[in-house]
Amino acid sequence: MGRYYLSKLGQALVTIVLVVLVVFTLLRFMPTTGYFSKEEYKEMTETERNAYLRSIGVLDPTLVQLKNFVVKLFHGDLGRSITVYPKSPITEVLGDKIKYTVLLNVFSLILSYAAGLSLGVAMARYKGRLVDHLGTAYVIAIRSIPSIIILFFVQVGLSKLLDLPMMFYMDQPLSWILPVISLSLSSIAGTAIWLRRYIVDEENRDYIKFARAKGLSQNYIMVRHVFRNAIVPIAINFPSDILLLISGGLITESLYSVPGMGGLLIQSIRALDNNLVQVLVLIFSTLSVFGVFLGDIFVSFVDPRIKLTADPQ
Amino acid sequence: MNESTGIQYNDLPDELFTAAEFNEQTAEEVGFSNYSYWRSTLRTFLKSPLIRVMLIVVTLLVAFTFLYPMISDIDPYSVSLSASDWNLPISAEHPFGTDGVDRDIWARVWYGTRTSFILAAVVAVMQVGIGVILGSIWGYNKRLDPLFFGIYNTITNIPSTIYLVLIAYIIRPGFWTIIIALVSSGWITEARWFRNRILALREADYNVASRCLKTPMRRIISRNIVPHIMSLIIMDAALTIPSSIGSEVFLSFIGLGIPSEWVTLGNLVNQSRSSFTVYPFQMLCPTAILCIITVSFYIIGNRFADASDPKNHV
Amino acid sequence: MREKIFEARDLEIQFNLRGRVLTAVHKASIELYSNETLAIVGESGSGKSVFTKSFLGMLDKNGYISGGSLLFEGQDLAKLKTEKEWLQIRGKKIAMVFQNPMTSLNPVKTVGEQIREVITWHFGTDKEEAAKEAVRLLDMVGIDNPEVRYKQYPHEFSGGMRQRVVIATAIACRPKILICDEPTTALDVTVQAQILQLIRQLQKELGMSVVYITHDLGVVANVADRVSVMYAGQIIEYGLVREIFKDPQHPYTKALLESLPQLSGRDRALHSIKGSPPNLYHEIKGDAFAPRNPHAMKIDFELEPPFFQVSETHWAKTWLLHEKAAGYRRQLAEMPEPPEPVLVKAPHTGDPLLSVRGLTVNFKLGRREFSAVKDASFDIYPGETFSLVGESGSGKTTIGKAIMKICHTNAGDIFYEGKKINHKLPRKELTEYRQKVQMIFQDPMASLNERAKVDYIISEGLYNFHLFKNEAERLKKVSDAMHSVGLLDEYATRFPHEFSGGQRQRIGIARSLIVVPQLVIADEPISALDVSIRAQVINLMNQLKKDKNLTYLFIAHDLSVVRYFSDRIAVMYKGRIVELSEAEELFAHPLHPYTRSLLQSAPIPDPDLERGKQVIVYDPSQHDYSKNAPFWSEIAPHHFIWANEPELEQYQRELAR
Repeated sequence: MGRYYLSKLGQALVTIVLVVLVVFTLLRFMPTTGYFSKEEYKEMTETERNAYLRSIGVLDPTLVQLKNFVVKLFHGDLGRSITVYPKSPITEVLGDKIKYTVLLNVFSLILSYAAGLSLGVAMARYKGRLVDHLGTAYVIAIRSIPSIIILFFVQVGLSKLLDLPMMFYMDQPLSWILPVISLSLSSIAGTAIWLRRYIVDEENRDYIKFARAKGLSQNYIMVRHVFRNAIVPIAINFPSDILLLISGGLITESLYSVPGMGGLLIQSIRALDNNLVQVLVLIFSTLSVFGVFLGDIFVSFVDPRIKLTADPQ
Repeated sequence: MNESTGIQYNDLPDELFTAAEFNEQTAEEVGFSNYSYWRSTLRTFLKSPLIRVMLIVVTLLVAFTFLYPMISDIDPYSVSLSASDWNLPISAEHPFGTDGVDRDIWARVWYGTRTSFILAAVVAVMQVGIGVILGSIWGYNKRLDPLFFGIYNTITNIPSTIYLVLIAYIIRPGFWTIIIALVSSGWITEARWFRNRILALREADYNVASRCLKTPMRRIISRNIVPHIMSLIIMDAALTIPSSIGSEVFLSFIGLGIPSEWVTLGNLVNQSRSSFTVYPFQMLCPTAILCIITVSFYIIGNRFADASDPKNHV
Repeated sequence: MREKIFEARDLEIQFNLRGRVLTAVHKASIELYSNETLAIVGESGSGKSVFTKSFLGMLDKNGYISGGSLLFEGQDLAKLKTEKEWLQIRGKKIAMVFQNPMTSLNPVKTVGEQIREVITWHFGTDKEEAAKEAVRLLDMVGIDNPEVRYKQYPHEFSGGMRQRVVIATAIACRPKILICDEPTTALDVTVQAQILQLIRQLQKELGMSVVYITHDLGVVANVADRVSVMYAGQIIEYGLVREIFKDPQHPYTKALLESLPQLSGRDRALHSIKGSPPNLYHEIKGDAFAPRNPHAMKIDFELEPPFFQVSETHWAKTWLLHEKAAGYRRQLAEMPEPPEPVLVKAPHTGDPLLSVRGLTVNFKLGRREFSAVKDASFDIYPGETFSLVGESGSGKTTIGKAIMKICHTNAGDIFYEGKKINHKLPRKELTEYRQKVQMIFQDPMASLNERAKVDYIISEGLYNFHLFKNEAERLKKVSDAMHSVGLLDEYATRFPHEFSGGQRQRIGIARSLIVVPQLVIADEPISALDVSIRAQVINLMNQLKKDKNLTYLFIAHDLSVVRYFSDRIAVMYKGRIVELSEAEELFAHPLHPYTRSLLQSAPIPDPDLERGKQVIVYDPSQHDYSKNAPFWSEIAPHHFIWANEPELEQYQRELAR
């Protein structure tokens, strides 16, 4: 049992190390213009630039840079932003941003699961009926139409229809509604369609047929057996869902001008801020690796069979 | 109960109570069913009118997209300096109107669709192709597990949008950048999926039987494996099209797409977004075409997957 | 006096399938009396499961009752519309046990919880009280430590134990009727014997009536008071168990019983039933069995027969009982038995074709390593049929695979014609070996490539070993191979899924034999087949053995077939061969306690022998190997056993007696 958790933790750590290595190495191929602000770049001469690059260690061998980066990381130093917030420490930049993203995501997470689970159950319960068809249409739309298009029309359409603000302001609760909805749309679809599939799969299992033969009512079986079992594979995604909302946040935060983490990544990319991109990508990836790890742990509490099969496959 | 003592059957002719001829073939035939996998798959697939309509629409769209440059001489890049030609509304001459510098949106949509189609098709072929080949190699070599699982964990643990962004950021934006970005993150999921299928197929009795008969590898693959995963390949390729079109639009939105001088659906949609409130048709028209394509391919791919599952051949 | 508690009258069940309406059950009637066990016997697709599922209102969504009635406690269950009405019956008054215990229990709930919920649901008993009752039930079905087991999950139970839990769940409400749908088919013979005993004992203790559905006539003889025989969705004969076994009237019942190897002389070919069981797509006219009955009358193809009475309790649905058929009946009785081919018996002398010495195969399961085969040694001589018998997981298939070179070996040698083969062979030798040794697989549904035509499947070996000069010769060889297994030429262009299980198995045999092998490894070749076509395949294998001078390694768990088919038998238990001897000798003098338990457990299709049979449970802890280590030795000529010194002495005394 302890072994299972250890092996999962080991896997997660190995993955994080791999991710750090890959991201760090890839970013070494970036043009060095990303280490200067525009004005600086124009003002400096070639030698000055090289001297500067050497002084911040960018010209060192990759491994040395990696070592320095990791050492700093353990001291809580993420380096400094270059172009987006010139010369400010990244920790400070993030500290400001993180509260917006977290707040929005908490609301959106609640909405996604509440709506996603209810829709999934309703679709499975009334399979082949109107709810199911509408739900399927919704899922198809969300999954096949590029999200930027959907989110844009949600912004434009709903703000007109419901008379809501089109931009996000921290102190106007009404202006939170549309970003929260936007953030939740795709995870509602995901949760609903998977839950529906798991429920339908469960319903065809022998033990559900046997439960019926025991004379238990449809509702009892639905709640105590089917839903109970179907929720397990959904639960495995729960922790990482919290973290994966960030990527949906890329578009939403940018559309509504939320000064959060997702918008920041786009900003830093547009401004070619190498340091910031590097830190953000590493943070997002690390979080999602831990999300997967927590999901495994979480599920082992729900499903008694898991501890026996410690095999990763 | 319905037993009868046979009284009402007494007037049956005696002749009937003599030996009948025995036919071995009819004895065998009663066990037959005239089921055929591909026929049933196609029948199940084409049963829905929605699918038939979508197939026709998609075929026409693809055909028109590639024929359009041949039948029309409108240059999608030609601009006008006269402000009276800018932002024209929908007309017979300009079915979708013109944009802020008098480029014909109708022409741009078809050129854009063509670029996006080519992009999606290249991605689909490369991703599924690499996935099938590496997946097969993986499936047949257990020793490669640590390597492939390492790659798999690394790539899938980074959220796909972040990965896309990162790759597109590192390599300068362009047509091939998007392809490299999409394929380099997508192939491993394909490979894993095909590896699992091949593991299952490889241990199936009929493949063991072929091994016992010493059937050479190339024939095992061409006769035993490929026909069984053909429907999966078709489905996968169909589903890769909407997802890669979507990714192109996304990358174009965050500024890492194909450079804005090119016409692509992503650029069309994103460039017209800012003027949406003033000239809604400039965005609505390309968006509508884009949605028809992605939704159709998505539904076709999924329904084909359902239809290719023998369990649904009811 | 016995009291009628349930009656199905002229029940008709239909299904909507691929846009067609198919009749799965046609005018089926049964009566069920208190305190009795009624067995419904039939092959797969005979409609027996569908029929009994309708007693609980549990037909699949596309199925419905289209006629007839189900009378129980004064109401007609066929008229029940809502789930709510069924809940009063289902589980409470009529309960059901399913075929596969591995999938019948919810894996994420404790077994106790799954029993308790039935009690709480039907009687509103409070949790604690119901939990106590659940523990009592576990105890009742023979589960040790019921309090501890109550809290465990299904994956902590073996198959037999799970089936006990399922039975405990089913009897929790003390139902009037218990329906058992092939409850032992998925279990090993020795476990099956225990479960059958449990069901019999519970039936007496609780005063239930049991409806037992099975395809296995041996099991019927063991459990049933009365028997109904189903074929093609119809009940064709019913009566007391002795009447059905000793005096069958319907040609199908007769043929089925005659085809069983237990009832056949050892030196004669089995009585086989021609053709394949019908599928629902075929319209049935007249007597359903007529197309497969070589002695059918003309009327059998014209008119559906009514039931004729044989005795007060025995009825059969065949025109043979019509008074006008009396003459034809006499004619049939006088008809001479057709000359049957005689089995070839091979002396096991001279140089062995195959020798296995100290073979060990280990597998990894997670971190654990275990031996699937431990130190196995035996010889197979040219022309003999050598059988490996054991339960699932005993390692018999692994030995077959190791010989086939599709599985690694960890220790020991395999010699073929004196040459060691379990290491990397040069290309040419491997090709030769592959051609000489062929395999027949267990599951004909999985062993044929669904996407290739029969012609390609059978030719596969011809291509690989270049056994033909031109296309004409290849076609000739394929056609010959198909004839030799009783298939028609025109089947060559069809795909496997158009064929029934027995036909597919014959295609598989043709595929192996077309390369003219010497040794054929047959891994449970008939266990996945319907009863009525097993004899066909066994006869075919015997015929081919004679015609082509084959040697068989036959892997099986069904002892009746093994006894009929083999020259010598090796019994395996948990990876070890515990006893090896000539077939008759083994059945006459089984020495190892496991062999005895195995022989005792196998059900015999004779109610006189089966009733009152005591089950011997083999307990491996009865061997005390702490002081004297066991070894492999020849206790009598050609009779080998795994035992230590004291045991050997004891066995020798028993042999002398």
